[in-house]
Amino acid sequence: MSVKMEASAGGMDHNKLLAIGLIGALICIYLVYLNTLMSTQVFAFFGGLAAVIALWWGTDSIKKLCSYGLGTGVPSAGMIALGSGVVAMLFATKLAVISPLLVPIGCVVVAAILGAILGFISDKVLNMNIPVMTRMIAELTVVGSLTMLGFTAMVAGTFSFGSLILGSISVMGLAIPSYAASVIGGCVIATIFMLGAIAIQHPFNACLGPNESWDRTQMCALECGFLSMITVAIMSIVFLSFIAVVISFVVSIILWGWSYSELIKLSKRDAFAWLDAKPIREVGGEQ
Amino acid sequence: MSALGGGAAGGEGINPVASVIALVIVLASVGIVFILYPAALIPLIGVIIGGVLISFGVHFVPVGGAPAAMGQAPGIATGVAMLAAGGGLAGLFGGAWAAGHGLWIALGAGAMGGGVLMAITCLMVNVVYVFEMGIPAASGKVDKDPITGDTYPAYRSQGTEGHGLPFISYVGGVLGGILAGTGGTLIYLQLLAVYQGAFASWVGITPEGVATLAVSLAGIFAVGMFLVAAVLTAYNITGTIEGPHDPKFKRWPRAVIGSSAACAACGLVAILLVVI
Repeated sequence: MSVKMEASAGGMDHNKLLAIGLIGALICIYLVYLNTLMSTQVFAFFGGLAAVIALWWGTDSIKKLCSYGLGTGVPSAGMIALGSGVVAMLFATKLAVISPLLVPIGCVVVAAILGAILGFISDKVLNMNIPVMTRMIAELTVVGSLTMLGFTAMVAGTFSFGSLILGSISVMGLAIPSYAASVIGGCVIATIFMLGAIAIQHPFNACLGPNESWDRTQMCALECGFLSMITVAIMSIVFLSFIAVVISFVVSIILWGWSYSELIKLSKRDAFAWLDAKPIREVGGEQ
Repeated sequence: MSALGGGAAGGEGINPVASVIALVIVLASVGIVFILYPAALIPLIGVIIGGVLISFGVHFVPVGGAPAAMGQAPGIATGVAMLAAGGGLAGLFGGAWAAGHGLWIALGAGAMGGGVLMAITCLMVNVVYVFEMGIPAASGKVDKDPITGDTYPAYRSQGTEGHGLPFISYVGGVLGGILAGTGGTLIYLQLLAVYQGAFASWVGITPEGVATLAVSLAGIFAVGMFLVAAVLTAYNITGTIEGPHDPKFKRWPRAVIGSSAACAACGLVAILLVVI
């Protein structure tokens, strides 16, 4: 049994945060489906928003999990989240064969089952004995899969397996279908994997410590998410129409600029609170 | 060492009930694949063996973490997940390039990829420790090197658990890289075989299409499963380990059970992709 160290007091209740994160991310991913309904590509940026909302929730889950001594550092939790999330997410995109509307919800269900198994293994088989471990690993797997699904939807404008494996290359003005020029065939998904992993493992790893405050950590999560979103918007040049890419890029840049300036404000606020040298605050728990 | 300074978790011993449940997960996954897609039965078993190899191999790798960076503990100064990802993925890529030359050559290439990366890492780590930080290699867990017979207590600084990278840890690192590289390559090759077999039957797909999709999907799934197995092993080690001579090395059975169950579940999902 490990000792719990309270990371930061206050902030939003985790269950409320979970509800907002899960429902918000799902709604945003479903909004990407408007692309298919209205035969356009301009709604692709909702995928990125879904990923950022999921990352915002995942950062709090990582914080809850890492309040206990994992012994391996914060990034490992991000790696297991994305590693299992990508398995669940790729499987879920194949559900589009039955109905495209099944993909986001199927992604959550498969990821939750997979995450619960992984959480059970870490908690009970590996004898970690951390009370919240099963739940938090399951949450993180869902977060990882939703992040991947969101960014994939943003880069491709769709989330069905058939469209993700078949791109097209232009030869002398003629569009020729090509498997190598697709999201999965071109392994763009590997880049998305790392963009998501960096965005989920960085915020709490950067903000932890006796002076950690809830709003700054969460704002750092938003900032990392929007930064990844800018990169995904640039990658989508290959797959989407010019106007859709411009909308994605402008939305990402504006939101990133806002979150970055907010993060700097919060950082200055927390730094000011330590202006006069004080002894390091005791964060509770027994060594 | 935890991120927040709390005591690291992870008790000793095996939890029998949980281990049986994990083995049931393995058997259930194999059973489901046998019923739904018998052609993928052997590949799934290969994936599970790959997970076991990764998990066993990671235990050999000398992980020092933050204390090692400060010269207060032996090992390579980073976390288990990062080291395993470095060594194992180098092996996986090495093996993937040789995939066209048959199973054994590809596995050998994977093993060499992982082993060479770890050998270079360990060498450069010791160069930095000895010539830049000015600390000798001394194990904190044993007084005498099991291979060379060198004695350590005279070189161990007070207040530390040893420092540097002793010879036994170097050997452990290379062995770990070889095993983890083989495991990662095995997972990749088995999934590649499943996807190549399944996609070839699709209507209107070109041979290049089959090859491209199978390589991409098998690659990203192998990376995902590799990270899952490596992080579960990292949780089992809870932080730092010196190598095969460390008492924590004896914990490997439960990591092997856990990783086999995790890889069975992930492999099942990866194989079900071609069933629906």
